[in-house]
Amino acid sequence: MQAAGQGYYTIGSSGHEGMAAVAAALRPTDMAFLHYRDAAFQIQRAEQVPGQSIAWDMLLSFACSSDDPISGGRHKVLGSKALNIPPQTSTIASHLPKAVGAAYSLGLARRHPPEHKALPDDAIIMCSFGDASANHSTAQGAFNTAQWTAYQSVPMPLLFVCEDNGIGISTKTPKGWIGANFADRPGLKYFPCDGLDIYDTFRVASQAADYVRKRRRPAFLHVRTVRLYGHAGADMPTTYMKREEVEAEEANDPLLHSARLLSEAGALDTADALAIYEQTNARVERVADEVVTRPRLKSAKDVMASLIPPPRACKPSNGPTAEARAAAFASDLKAMQEPQIMSRLINWALTDLMLTHGEIALMGEDVGRKGGVYGVTQKLMSRFGPSRVIDTLLDEQSILGLGIGLAHNGFLPIPEIQFLAYLHNAEDQLRGEAATLPFFSNGQYTNPMIVRIAGLGYQKGFGGHFHNDNSVAVLRDIPGLILACPSSGSDAAMMLRECVRLAREEQRLVVFLEPIALYPMRDLHEAGDGGWMTRYPDPSERIGFGEVGRHGDGEDLVILTFANGFYLSCQAQKRLEAEGINARVVDIRWLSPLPEDAILDAISGCRNVLVVDETRRTGGLGEALMTLLTERTDLPHTRLSAEDSFIATGPAYAATMPSTDGIVEAARKLSGAAS
Amino acid sequence: MKTAVLICPGRGTYNKAELGYLARHFPDRSLLEAFDSQRRAQGQPTLSELDGASRFSLATHTRGDNASALIYAATLGDFLSIDRDNIEIVAVTGNSMGWYSALACGGALSAQDGFHVSNTMGTLMQRSLIGGQLIYPFVGEDWRPNPERRAALLALVDDIASRADHALALSIALGGMLVLAGNEAGLSAFESAVDPVQERFPMRLGNHAAFHTALQAPVAADGRERLSSALFAQPRLPLIDGRGAIWWPGASDTYDLWDYTLGAQVTDTYDFTRAVTVAAREFAPDLFIITGPGTSLGGAVAQSLILAGWRGMGGKDDFRARQDETPLLASMGMPDQRATVSKGENS
Repeated sequence: MQAAGQGYYTIGSSGHEGMAAVAAALRPTDMAFLHYRDAAFQIQRAEQVPGQSIAWDMLLSFACSSDDPISGGRHKVLGSKALNIPPQTSTIASHLPKAVGAAYSLGLARRHPPEHKALPDDAIIMCSFGDASANHSTAQGAFNTAQWTAYQSVPMPLLFVCEDNGIGISTKTPKGWIGANFADRPGLKYFPCDGLDIYDTFRVASQAADYVRKRRRPAFLHVRTVRLYGHAGADMPTTYMKREEVEAEEANDPLLHSARLLSEAGALDTADALAIYEQTNARVERVADEVVTRPRLKSAKDVMASLIPPPRACKPSNGPTAEARAAAFASDLKAMQEPQIMSRLINWALTDLMLTHGEIALMGEDVGRKGGVYGVTQKLMSRFGPSRVIDTLLDEQSILGLGIGLAHNGFLPIPEIQFLAYLHNAEDQLRGEAATLPFFSNGQYTNPMIVRIAGLGYQKGFGGHFHNDNSVAVLRDIPGLILACPSSGSDAAMMLRECVRLAREEQRLVVFLEPIALYPMRDLHEAGDGGWMTRYPDPSERIGFGEVGRHGDGEDLVILTFANGFYLSCQAQKRLEAEGINARVVDIRWLSPLPEDAILDAISGCRNVLVVDETRRTGGLGEALMTLLTERTDLPHTRLSAEDSFIATGPAYAATMPSTDGIVEAARKLSGAAS
Repeated sequence: MKTAVLICPGRGTYNKAELGYLARHFPDRSLLEAFDSQRRAQGQPTLSELDGASRFSLATHTRGDNASALIYAATLGDFLSIDRDNIEIVAVTGNSMGWYSALACGGALSAQDGFHVSNTMGTLMQRSLIGGQLIYPFVGEDWRPNPERRAALLALVDDIASRADHALALSIALGGMLVLAGNEAGLSAFESAVDPVQERFPMRLGNHAAFHTALQAPVAADGRERLSSALFAQPRLPLIDGRGAIWWPGASDTYDLWDYTLGAQVTDTYDFTRAVTVAAREFAPDLFIITGPGTSLGGAVAQSLILAGWRGMGGKDDFRARQDETPLLASMGMPDQRATVSKGENS
């Protein structure tokens, strides 16, 4: 197909055929997160589920046909909804953290079965990877998390399968490295087998699967394989390996070994084996000739059609009973009558949401016993138990992987990243895994969740850069991801409810960015005015996705901003008013995708636009807002952004970011210049 | 050398026009005599007698204990008549009781054991005759796919089945047709709920029971009692069953094959559409050969291929155009088409 220009990028599975024996040792209901060399696994699993057309399906994938049943012709992936194989590229083993999460979900689902539960209670999870990618820090983090969990006797029915072909593109794995590395890890049982011997592989894989299934503990199946025909595409192994080495590998072709083993067992003589080989070749060629006539994607619209997953039907809920609320909130119910700070309102909103939706689970560093470093999740563990409010180990990739994996089994996870700066070591779990899942699966697989992240600057007495990070660039260019950022307590509660609705009903991936400095904020203009505290809105109230906030109706100037910038701009607004400049302050609230039409509607009638952006000048939100204003309005506009700097500790904590004085000055200049 | 998938027909295909089919086409006299011996031993009229009767009798020829044996023999005879020097059979499938024929054509049952299985199951079904079947289309006469109509009809079936004392279920997914099976209350409720179409439908199938539904569980149990798993061997050709699953030569578990044949095959929906779809997609043959007796399965095969979008066909006109240009289907019940694939008597 490739020679005829009808087949596209693919990566071979030759040499890894022993994985068929691993598939045979598992059940099709054991969700499998596969290595890219696992065509044999998927083909064998297709044999376990009646009615599959695996040759047709795989060739459609190679042909990038829109009929491809997993990705709709978008991407080369292994995967199948019917076979419980969620697709991913698996190039750097970044699928391992979610496999850990999915394995954890099995125990949780026994206790709290979610409405959209996808896996039976006796399932196990399998994930596979190569010997080279086993070294990746993401993979190592996943091994460690699985071990850490199992070490505490928490169920972790997960089978790691390392396909050891001894080489990563051109770099050889040190001889014996995988065995030495994994044979004696705490909490992880090691099973070695020879992938060139399908009997040995099936026997050992069955033992490993049995161990995982019965003991609900993780195991590491080490499968010896060979790599035939190079790494991928145009890779020529003879450019970095001796010819004799390449030939020795080819002589170890698992198909030849299997033919020999079957012949020795008297099950198939070599002539019949050859006949099967030739019949299969002819059959696949016939199927390929048909497949290349099938349609392919053409337009950007075609490609992008599955960036956003389809909505799903959810059972309606009337919310918790008054008794349940009273029991959960206790004395907080009385406190709800008074204006409160943002962190309390988020806590209450989470409580109501968890009471309403039993499938919500929280996870993160210190979210349980401590109740979060800022107290946002206080009392939630006592209200909902440690199985729904999970204190995790210190590894953000594992926290996000836990969320993604739980979502694969119907839970609605709300993972917390303790500080925005800690997201960056783990953001690929959102970018490369969570956000791509609907895209790679044509909307068949989804991992809806709400990632809560405490972030942005302006904490007076605490931190420095790592606790006041003001960069959201990595969250703004991820297709399909929704980035929400409230500026007040009541907005936070109502937006969080909308985020849960978006995730639960529309299966969206949402990041809820909570401005730390506003968590405890009480006053707006002067000490004791209580101007930034709000009442807890009725649980039925939501702020819709894309709905912006508006403070004041002045027309001299509109300040377009969010989060701390909104707070500071409201301060500036009063001072400007005293000077005769009537300003309007618009809170964007939804930072990505930008609610462009709502923004334009909110600024209509104003004569000038000032963008106040507390994220960095380069890559910050201000760039997008200025572009919007330039492209779609004729209004004079300028911006006040944070400098391209890290945040300082000490008195200069806010020096690099917009201030009230700075906003007033910029507003004066802008409106004066235009008048 | 052309490649072909063989398709074996089910009940209802040996009718008046087929009387004498075995005499005209069955290529192996001694094999036919062996079938007759089995029938004699059971105290049943022989195939030679039935096929050689002076007139077709609906009451006699369509009874399960007679029809199954006649259809099986006619199918096997046609299979044995195919010109294998020029046609490579790459897979075998069948519709409903055609599965028993497929097992024999594909080598998983010997010719005689296949006859034994077909005859036994046909006899058991006739003896109990639990429930009945009707047929109703969800495509129009242009054969264009209409998934919404199909879903609506199946929702109606579910609704009827949920009523007290009503049994109704999808028995066979037969291309653009739904074969429904159930008890009298279930079948009647469906008949009164849908509009008559094409002057024939909904159409009851005489002498048929509620095949491929849970109502047949006693028949399946009886069959398992009488027919040993030792009858079943490795197939010599790939077999595609009524779920679309492929049984590969050399790689099939013969116990599982027995278990399916006398288990789920009898009591669960027979998805002929899926079987044809898998045959097309996994074997991509030049030709689909439908053995005799009868000519009625061709429409369902063509409709199944249209539903699968095979070679871009979107309806009956596309199929006709393609069939006229390079035949995709060869129906051995039609003399002209039979001549294109058989080595023998009519070519």
